[in-house]
Amino acid sequence: MKNKLNILLLSSFFLALILTIWVYYQTTSRVGDISFDKNIDNSEFNACNEDRITQYYSIGTNYQGGEKAIKKELKGLINNLNFNDSGFITYRFVVNCKNKTGRFRVKTVNSNLKENTFNSDNIKRIQESIESLKGWKAGKRKDEILDSYYVLNFKVQNNKIVDIF
Amino acid sequence: MKILIKIVKVVLTILLFLFSIAIIYISVLAPKEKRFKMAEHTQGFYLSQTMFDILIFQHPEYSDVYFEKSVAFNKRGEYAKGFELLNKAVELDSKSHLGYRGWMKLRKLRDFDNALSDFNRLDSLTPNFVDSPWGEDIDFLRGECYFGKKEYQKAIVLFNRSIKNQKEGWADIHSFVYLGICEYELRNYEKSIHEFKRALKQSKNIPESYFGMAKSYQKLGQIEKAKEHILKAEKNINYKRDDSYNEFLNEIYLSEILELKQTLNNK
Repeated sequence: MKNKLNILLLSSFFLALILTIWVYYQTTSRVGDISFDKNIDNSEFNACNEDRITQYYSIGTNYQGGEKAIKKELKGLINNLNFNDSGFITYRFVVNCKNKTGRFRVKTVNSNLKENTFNSDNIKRIQESIESLKGWKAGKRKDEILDSYYVLNFKVQNNKIVDIF
Repeated sequence: MKILIKIVKVVLTILLFLFSIAIIYISVLAPKEKRFKMAEHTQGFYLSQTMFDILIFQHPEYSDVYFEKSVAFNKRGEYAKGFELLNKAVELDSKSHLGYRGWMKLRKLRDFDNALSDFNRLDSLTPNFVDSPWGEDIDFLRGECYFGKKEYQKAIVLFNRSIKNQKEGWADIHSFVYLGICEYELRNYEKSIHEFKRALKQSKNIPESYFGMAKSYQKLGQIEKAKEHILKAEKNINYKRDDSYNEFLNEIYLSEILELKQTLNNK
C-alpha cells in the first residue's frame, strides 16, 4: 500500500513536470522566431533584448519614407536582376533597437503561392541590398525602443522585380 | 506522524493529477469553440498552433481552425504554409473564407489577379448581396485591384459602383481619393481635382486629396493653387491613411510632400 502511494505520487509528479515543461515551451516560443546561427548570421549584430523581440506591426517599426523609399533606393537592383520564374521573395529579419538589421531569413513562393526556389545569386543580391538600407526606425512601446522582426516582400513578375512592400 | 505524511502524500498526488487533468482537458477535451477562442487569443505562440493542430485532428471539417491557424504564418511572411491552410478553409467553406483570402492576396501580397478572382467568385456565390470581405466593400477592394493593375478605367467603374452602393456619405473616403488618382493617371487633371474635392466634402483632413490636388494644379500650370494645397497636405499629414501591417497602394509620405513643396517653391 505504502509503495503504491509512493509510485502514484511519483507518477503524478513526473506527469505534472512533463506537462509544465511542455506548456512553458509552448508559451515562450512563437512562430517565426529567429535565433542566432553562427554559420549564417553576422556575429557583430546583436538584439538589444534577446528575450523580447516583438513584431514590427505591434510597435510601429518602419522605414523612413516607407516602402516607397525602399523601392526608390533599390531601383538599381529592381532594374538589373532577371528571374526565370514569377512569385514572391520574402525576407524576414530583425531591426534592433539601434536601427541596425540582421538575422536575415528568406522564404520564396511561386505565383500559386507554393514553395519554390529562385536563382541563389539573385537572392544573395537582394539580401545585400536590404543590408545596405540605412533608414530603419525601430518602433517603441511606452517610450522604450524595442527590437522587432520586419517582413519585406519582393514581387517578381515577367522575370523582373515589379514591387517591394 | 505517519498518518500525517500519508495524508500529505495523498493530497499532493490528487493535486498533481488534477493539475495534469486540467491541462489535458484545456488542450484536448474542452468544447471545441472554447479551445478555438483560447488558441485565437494566443495567436502566434506555439501553444496556439498546437491547439489548432489538435482541433484539426479531432474536427477535420472545422474550417475556421484552418483559417485562424494561417494568420500567424501569413503575418510572418510564411505564405506557403499560410495559404495552404487558407486554401483548405476555402475548400471547406468558400462563402466564409473566400473574401478574407482575396483581401489577404490584395493587401498582403499585391497579387491583384488572384485577389480579383477570389472576390469575383465570392460575388457569384452570393447573388443580390453586396459582400464586404474583412469589413470592406467588395467593389472598393476590386477597385483597388484594378488600380494596382494600373487599369484605371476599370478601377473608376468599381469605385463609383462602391460609392453608389454604399451611398455618398457612407462610402470609404478613399474611394474618392482613388478616383482622383485614377483621373490624374489618365491625365484628366480637372476631373481629378473634382474627385479629390468630393473626398474633402466628407472630411477636411485628407492629406491624400490635398497632395493629389497640388499635383493636378501643378500639371494645369496653376502653381499658386498647387502651393496652397501642398501646404494643406503637409499640415494634415498626421491624418494620412496608414496601417501598421502594410503600406497602402495610395499611401503618401511627408518626404514626398516636402519634395513637391520644394519643387513648387523653386518655380
